[in-house]
Amino acid sequence: MAVVEVDRPARDVPRKTATARRGGRLAPYLFMGAAALYLILLTGAPLLDGVWLSLTDTQLLNPTGGSFIGGQNYTALFSDADFAHSLLITVLYSAATVVGSLLVGTVCAVAINGAFRGRAVARAILTFPWAVPTVAAVLIFSWIYNKDSGVLNHALRAVGLSGHGWLVEPSWALTAVTLASIWKVFPFVMLVVLAALQSVPDELYEAARVDGADVLNRFRTVAMPFLLPTLRVTALLMTIWSFRRFEIIWLLTQGGPVGSTNALVIGVYRQAFVNSDLGKSAAMGVVGLALSTIVTIIFFYVDRGAARKEAK
Amino acid sequence: MTLRKSLGLIGRMVAVVVLVVLAGFPVYWLLTTATHTTAELFGGHVQWLPDVGQFVASFHHAISGVPMLRWLSNSAVIAFGDTALSLVLAILAAYALSRYRFRGKGVFSFALFATQMLPEALLVVPLYSVFLQFGLLDNLGGLILSDAAFSMPVAVWILKSAMDGVPLEIEEAARVDGCPRYAMLPQITLPLIAPSIAAAAVITFFDGWNEYLFANTFITDEKKWPASKGLASFIGEFVTPLNHVMAAAIMFTIPAIVFFLFVQRRIVSGLTAGSVKG
Repeated sequence: MAVVEVDRPARDVPRKTATARRGGRLAPYLFMGAAALYLILLTGAPLLDGVWLSLTDTQLLNPTGGSFIGGQNYTALFSDADFAHSLLITVLYSAATVVGSLLVGTVCAVAINGAFRGRAVARAILTFPWAVPTVAAVLIFSWIYNKDSGVLNHALRAVGLSGHGWLVEPSWALTAVTLASIWKVFPFVMLVVLAALQSVPDELYEAARVDGADVLNRFRTVAMPFLLPTLRVTALLMTIWSFRRFEIIWLLTQGGPVGSTNALVIGVYRQAFVNSDLGKSAAMGVVGLALSTIVTIIFFYVDRGAARKEAK
Repeated sequence: MTLRKSLGLIGRMVAVVVLVVLAGFPVYWLLTTATHTTAELFGGHVQWLPDVGQFVASFHHAISGVPMLRWLSNSAVIAFGDTALSLVLAILAAYALSRYRFRGKGVFSFALFATQMLPEALLVVPLYSVFLQFGLLDNLGGLILSDAAFSMPVAVWILKSAMDGVPLEIEEAARVDGCPRYAMLPQITLPLIAPSIAAAAVITFFDGWNEYLFANTFITDEKKWPASKGLASFIGEFVTPLNHVMAAAIMFTIPAIVFFLFVQRRIVSGLTAGSVKG
């Protein structure tokens, strides 16, 4: 998708375009100025403010009365077992959600790529989860997961398995939240992969078919090279979006039971608005941002290596 | 060969049906639950089929019991505002990134990407104090402003790669034909990338329609709640009957799905525009 060339110059735009020659030097700044100013005011400045907050002992009830305490919030965090646990939850939740949604999304895209009767309907229904608002999804899943009257437990008991309090038992809550998240986000992967699949020239499939390659082989040798760059970028986006996904976890479990779904962003929110400790909350947020940054850097490193390999 | 082909087709159809059932079931369940009384829902038997006759009654309760219509219109204001603001900013920024080489381009691209790493929860407190000074608390405009900061960058990417796919020759030919430079973007480039604009519009619309976190802290006046916040207030309370809550959730879901169905054909081609280049 679009994001593919975040780190690459637009290869296909000639160095000196006619527009650039006549447009002068000011033109691009006029075009991007509004957006840049907007980002500075609405994300850049608040972010710096957040970093500053993380170095203070500011409390919610006295938001301007904090004083500078250096790195104390950070040292407190890193000696806190609960914080280490919430980092672990974040990594587990993100890894499972990313792998799950990439897998389901790719399988769906491959399944509905190509003509068959009812394709449009199938595609529409498969993208419904993406369109369903998160809060509505949370209401549905809480009801499906309901311990006594939920359809999931009814169905499990009907086939002789035992039911669970999916959202209230610490050993199941993270799984339940993850499954709901995968359901919500996989259509995005499906649409992006579908778009990439449609860029595979039909002749290549035809040639592979003539050579006697079966479905799996055709997918691996013909489609995969076209999909890989798209999948890599989608994986990155899914990962950093998982790191900061808030609503679905907060509304399903509020991070509970006993911290079993307490991902980092849940902690940021709880620390600020339940425990009223703005300084510590900001410090947790900054750590989360650092985590995403590290993942992004690793990704670009890997992506560049892989792209070079593929070019050979 | 024909046998193999038809076996493959059957296998694929089975896969499609299974996936469609799994993806569609929660939505079906939402519809079904809305049509049964709490006595039926909690009575120990699963109500597998919707009781169609109860639909109207449930919706009637959802509208009369809570200010659902008010909340929905608030959500619409936020979603359309977010879409409009994001698209205007994104179209201009995408044009700069696609058509010009300039100092600061890399930094700007990175900043756009970096917004996707920012946890909203970290920005809530700093934005709160800024919005307090400018009277943007308890104000739908404040929510539009904060949402667009996250959805606009995504729109820029989609539109930028779509514009990269428009050959420069088309713009040059238009100029030779006497098209003034200021008219190039609106009259030549934009019509050519309409599918991608649709794709970007859907994504930003969903962002605004889903808005919850900022509303949860910035809006205290119940009349100004978006529907997400209003619906979330039912979670964990047991006064409102479940079927009424579900009916309200349906009312919140339908506009998003309808909007999506309208543009869904264009979404895939809009995203394709970005991936076939190069």
